[in-house]
Amino acid sequence: MNIASVTNMRLKFPGKESLLFSDFSLSIKEGEKVLILGPSGCGKSTLLQVLSGLIPKTVDVPMKADEITVPHSWGYLFQDPDAQFCMPYVDEEIAFVLENLEVPREKMPDCITSYLRQVGLAFENNHTKISTLSGGMKQRLALASVLALEPEVIFLDEPTAMLDPDGTTQVWDTIKQIGDDKTLIIIEHKIDQIVDVVDRIILLGKNGNIIAEGPKQVIFEGYKQKLKEAGIWYPGVWDDYLEENQPDRTIEPVNNQPPAITLSDFSGYRGKKEIVHIDYAEARLGEWITVIGENGAGKSTLLLALMNLVQSAGTYDINGRDHKKVTNFAEEMAFVFQNPEYQFVTNSVYDEVAFTLRLEKREEAEISSRVSDSLHFYQLEEEQDNHPYQLSIGQKRRLSVAASLIKDQPILLLDEPTFGQDAKNTFAILEQLEQVRKRGAAILMVTHDTKVVEHFATRVWQLEDGKLIKNVPASEYPQEPVHA
Amino acid sequence: MDFSHQETWLHHINPSLKLLILVVLFIQILMIHNINFLLNELIGMLILYLFFTGHPSKRLVLISLPFLLIFLTSSTSMIFFGKGETTWLHWGLVHITEESFTRGLHLGFRGIVFAVLGVVFALTTRPVFLFYSLMQQLKLKPKFAYSFMAAVRLLPLMAEEMQTLNHALKVRGVQRKKGITGFYHKLKSYSIPLLSQSIRRAHRIAVAMEAKRFSEAKSRTYYYRLGFSKYDGLFLIYLLGVTMLAYYMAVHFPYFSTTDVRYL
Repeated sequence: MNIASVTNMRLKFPGKESLLFSDFSLSIKEGEKVLILGPSGCGKSTLLQVLSGLIPKTVDVPMKADEITVPHSWGYLFQDPDAQFCMPYVDEEIAFVLENLEVPREKMPDCITSYLRQVGLAFENNHTKISTLSGGMKQRLALASVLALEPEVIFLDEPTAMLDPDGTTQVWDTIKQIGDDKTLIIIEHKIDQIVDVVDRIILLGKNGNIIAEGPKQVIFEGYKQKLKEAGIWYPGVWDDYLEENQPDRTIEPVNNQPPAITLSDFSGYRGKKEIVHIDYAEARLGEWITVIGENGAGKSTLLLALMNLVQSAGTYDINGRDHKKVTNFAEEMAFVFQNPEYQFVTNSVYDEVAFTLRLEKREEAEISSRVSDSLHFYQLEEEQDNHPYQLSIGQKRRLSVAASLIKDQPILLLDEPTFGQDAKNTFAILEQLEQVRKRGAAILMVTHDTKVVEHFATRVWQLEDGKLIKNVPASEYPQEPVHA
Repeated sequence: MDFSHQETWLHHINPSLKLLILVVLFIQILMIHNINFLLNELIGMLILYLFFTGHPSKRLVLISLPFLLIFLTSSTSMIFFGKGETTWLHWGLVHITEESFTRGLHLGFRGIVFAVLGVVFALTTRPVFLFYSLMQQLKLKPKFAYSFMAAVRLLPLMAEEMQTLNHALKVRGVQRKKGITGFYHKLKSYSIPLLSQSIRRAHRIAVAMEAKRFSEAKSRTYYYRLGFSKYDGLFLIYLLGVTMLAYYMAVHFPYFSTTDVRYL
């Protein structure tokens, strides 16, 4: 029996030239575990919202279909952990769902505890602030409120895109546990953790058409090229990439140059608390150093301290010069944040890249030639008049890198630049950084991705509890077993 | 940001009732023209603020700093430029008289009483309880109540974003500019990203709320049941007591000889 389906759907976003979907049909049977794959912007999320009935009921998008079947009871897990809750406390959030379902008040506390237990959350007191939870815990809480709806179908819209590896594992493990008797409809491009649950894959093309559907083995074997083009992290994507490209990790010897960064007895603070301490470390030009470690080990604080955005103490030399003598750190180093949107300060892609040069009052001719070069290098030429917020997630990331690096600063600090990116964008960013490094820049990059450490880094700094416990060339870094 | 505090009897008052009583009190205070009466009322309200909000005294002192500003701004212009007959000081435009002085003080005290009452309400009322109570006692539509509660949740997120944005601007080499143009630039570079991010968040939260069947619920049950208790009576008695005592003391033991600050 079909639990959710659409027949001959036509759908168009207002202001867009073409239809997102035309004559689109899809049906999903009860109990199926379906994974929907496709390139970014192909309408996966929209499709999920149609199948759940959110479009057109809640989100007003013009659409037409011969027939739509919406499941009788369903729950929806969204991407952004901070944008799914409307109440400040854990118990209140689940109670919100129970109130909507008119569950009597007396039963609520027990229900809340039981749903929390099902997703593996146990609090001493359920009246805990949601803001104190980690991303993985927040998503599991969201899952608990989904369970409170007693759904037949659960829609999952990239629920782990904003989570670190630990959080991702927690969330998928929970979904596997609770999803046994339910229909699951999943969108995700990092699929190594869920692929064993899924029994059918639907591969969407760029124009919102179904390229292929079927059991996963068939898709993975028969449509590899399509998966690659769509930027899907299918199993073995790294092997395929490395077969075609071999990142060159040799370091050009630089003579008589002081290290780009010298740290000795250096501490970084948040407020008054010392978060990270480094006895001694150097970063030389031409090196690509990956900073790794658990959450809360002090990786981001280290980067912020190097950029002088938080308090620091100790010796810190930049290109042999005491950092206290540096007045404008942006001259010496570029910084790329995790969320590129926070970095945009102008209204067009072109202005964004030109921004720093204009601050320096350079000649307009020089600015225009440098900006064009940069836009070309990062493949953003066609977007130059658009607003930064209109770009796709991959383009936004490339723009933030382009805008930060326009001054050719010799030092690059990056906080998880490949975070949440699909495979295609990840490789594009890594290759571009590789070229910047070869021109003689020093790169310091926080990452969770062991593959990046293994194949692109030249050196590894491992932090644990705010201490640098390992500082070795990447070739000597022990290969960790890949997450199962 | 830590904002922990102890619960006091003021926290247990029904929030809707507390709100209504305060509105009535505001109007009553507007009609007081006897500075002695007003000063006594102020003392009565300060007692609530200083001893019964359950917040640490350091925080209370910090919050009360703006009170001083309110007092100065609302009293000085009246003191310096107000009309009056008994001149104390005449210097250019500044003309201080006994009448303008007491009237200025009166205005200043009134400003502080309003501020103290507002802050006492804010410090002792959880927004969530206020909206639950408004739904239950004053029949506010859930649509509005929950929207407000969701919005309250967005505020700390915005504070965090502001910090990140501040970092981002520094990273891009923006040096702080001074003066009005600097302020304008700052306003522009903060408000647009913050607003656009908030609009997007708000939209996402709205969709998430719908996905939890918010508008399908014809009637709803409530996790928190807010009723009335002896604390409501206590609050009412305290305020009535303070008002009567303030009036009695003002009549029998005045600080100022003026009993009506209005200029007739």
